[in-house]
Amino acid sequence: MGIIELSQLTRRFGARTALDSVSLSLPRGAVYGLVGANGAGKTTLIRHVLGLLKAESGSVRVFGLDPVDDPAGVLSRIGYLSEENDLPGWMRIDELMRYTQAFYPGWDAGYADELRQAFALDGAARIKTISKGQKARTGLLIALAHRPELLVLDEPSSGLDPIVRRDILGAVIRTIAHEGRTVLFSSHLLDEVEAVADHVTMIDHGKIVLSAPLEEIKSTHRVQGRVPSLDEIFHRRVGAAAR
Amino acid sequence: MTPAQAIGWELWRRHRRGFLALGAYVVVLAAIKFVIVARGLTVVFDNDEQFAVVVMVPISCSAVYLLAVFTYGLSGDLTARQSMYPARMFALPVSNAALVGWPMLYGAATIVVFWGATRALAPWPADLAIPTFWPATLAAALILWTQAATWMPYPFTGARLIAAIFVLQAIDAVVLIALYSRSPEWVILAITLPQLPLAYLTARYAVARARRGVVPVWRVRAVVPSAASAISKEGRTPFASPAHAQAWFEWKRHGRALPVWVAIVLPFLLLILWTAGTSTTLVVVTLLAALVTPMVMALFSGVTVARSGNTSDWFGLPPFCAVRPLTNGQLLAAKLKMTMWSTLAAWCVVGAAIPIALVGSGTWPIARDFGRHATTIVGAPRALALLGFLVGVLMLSTWKQLMQNLYIGLTGNERLIKGSLFASIVLASILGPLAIWTLDDTNRIATLWSMTPLILGIVVALKMGVAAWVAGRLTRARTVSDRTLVTGALSWTAVVLTLFGILAWLTDTPHIPRFLVMLIAILLVPLVRISAATLAVQQNRHR
Repeated sequence: MGIIELSQLTRRFGARTALDSVSLSLPRGAVYGLVGANGAGKTTLIRHVLGLLKAESGSVRVFGLDPVDDPAGVLSRIGYLSEENDLPGWMRIDELMRYTQAFYPGWDAGYADELRQAFALDGAARIKTISKGQKARTGLLIALAHRPELLVLDEPSSGLDPIVRRDILGAVIRTIAHEGRTVLFSSHLLDEVEAVADHVTMIDHGKIVLSAPLEEIKSTHRVQGRVPSLDEIFHRRVGAAAR
Repeated sequence: MTPAQAIGWELWRRHRRGFLALGAYVVVLAAIKFVIVARGLTVVFDNDEQFAVVVMVPISCSAVYLLAVFTYGLSGDLTARQSMYPARMFALPVSNAALVGWPMLYGAATIVVFWGATRALAPWPADLAIPTFWPATLAAALILWTQAATWMPYPFTGARLIAAIFVLQAIDAVVLIALYSRSPEWVILAITLPQLPLAYLTARYAVARARRGVVPVWRVRAVVPSAASAISKEGRTPFASPAHAQAWFEWKRHGRALPVWVAIVLPFLLLILWTAGTSTTLVVVTLLAALVTPMVMALFSGVTVARSGNTSDWFGLPPFCAVRPLTNGQLLAAKLKMTMWSTLAAWCVVGAAIPIALVGSGTWPIARDFGRHATTIVGAPRALALLGFLVGVLMLSTWKQLMQNLYIGLTGNERLIKGSLFASIVLASILGPLAIWTLDDTNRIATLWSMTPLILGIVVALKMGVAAWVAGRLTRARTVSDRTLVTGALSWTAVVLTLFGILAWLTDTPHIPRFLVMLIAILLVPLVRISAATLAVQQNRHR
């Protein structure tokens, strides 16, 4: 059984169908890249996984549990970096770490401090006074420090600066995958997904147009012996779906 | 399109349905005037209620609506520290004068035209001398000052509400004094007209500050230098449990506002004791006002309690809070715990301030003699129980004010939240005159008294019906277990019965039947709002 199981998941916002009969099964211990244009349905899918949206039809199972029925059971095993980066501005970074620690029995204080130093964050700084990039690093720190079974990163690239994106995020994701844990991250920057993902799911207008291991995708989309980039494959597939 | 037209177009486009409704009301008045009255027929109101429904209530509601529209109050957060002037408009290539001037001009013009139309077309009673000009200038002054008050950035959350109410009440009070002293119209015009440029200059100053990103902060750390070290020590001690951490979060976010507000307001109120001399009445009234202060301040503070978002326009539960690995019940429990601590802290301030003020002002003997006098009338145990009951009810009411908005605020439904706030303001503006109208006539008081059991009975039936519906929803949604539901119901019944016992002992008179006391006890103890708040959290968290 997969760590995330979506079955015929449909969600509408008014007249717009954000997710259209999406079925997906993600086995444990790999890095899953969820790619799609802005408004394709990536964040809606992630919010269902977290239980922040209730399935209108179809079902959502995470660790075999319904995240709406048992939010505490599911969320205690997930690390989440939000696209909105809505950390409370009035908190200091130390306070945020202390507050977050209370919710996760697996919180590793040594690892948290190590990450804080690696991210060059001042524990006494108030969150509202730090830069956007520092906020994103702080969000990443509290998502990682309890060593979650499932790490969910919603558009992490939109907040992280290029150095963190290239050097730290990639290293962190690889480390987690090597420890047998799972990462689900969404992005519209295909080269970044290509650099770290084992498995890619492409989503367009609320429908999954392709979901397969990255190597398989590349090998099946060869053009005259040349291996195309994920960007080229995406445009080919999404273009085909649009037609 | 010029900037002036663009600002006006946006206001019209966004609120066109409301403006059309106002227009339709004016058309109905015109139809009454030109179709019925012009044919020689007369419009007769059999009683004051009909006149109120046709003329006064629509005028009051419309005035409140126009205040909300032209302050941009329907798209902002009344309780936030930041200016409510839409920040997106600060980037427009126009001067502060234009940003402030056009919405003020449109607001004043609309309310003046609306008054003019109502004055000319409404079927006013023939024996009533309706003034022409001063209501228009008063309404314009009120709308302009409300704009100035709402566009100003403030150092505290909730300060805007208090500033707006203070400014509006002050203008109202001055005009009412002028009216009661039967001043001619030019006197009231002389009071209200100079308000217009003053309000404009204040609003211009407010928007200029907001445009520069100024949000004043009252730094407590500057006053208490050791706070920084205390915080860093606090940062090293882990929380005992997730529930403790969430309660801390809620306390830091909302819990301190009420005690701080009470600590600010109470000294000014208790200063009256220094002027009381030997007046027992003044001392007792001041003490009663001091006891009521936490409850009144909780009315303002309570508006913000349900919110968890960081930004001023966020009403839903933000992902940061929604992804806490807590049950919906635990999220709500943290808020309820915070409201209890906040209430206790506010009452600690009251408990400390009153004895200090009594001793410091030398009015302690007056209060002591009053207490002794009360004891001789009702007996020592009953006097003590009455005092305890009064304080207990006021504490409970303070807590109720803090938590009663939760069931609406926690839904995260912007329309519902703003609609309920709008309805409360309209209700508040109607209740005052309604109370005066009722108390003005002994027959009406007698009617109200005879209907009290029926009214209370209907309200109790409504309360119990809604409670049963909410309980059913909670059970079906598996939000709470059957055991929790039964425990909650039993606890609530025990509290109601205890309260009934105390009330029955205190009001031991044949004039008040026991069933009436029971109905009051049922209504005093919160039931529906707490249980509905659980549903609201669920709906907000899992949309």
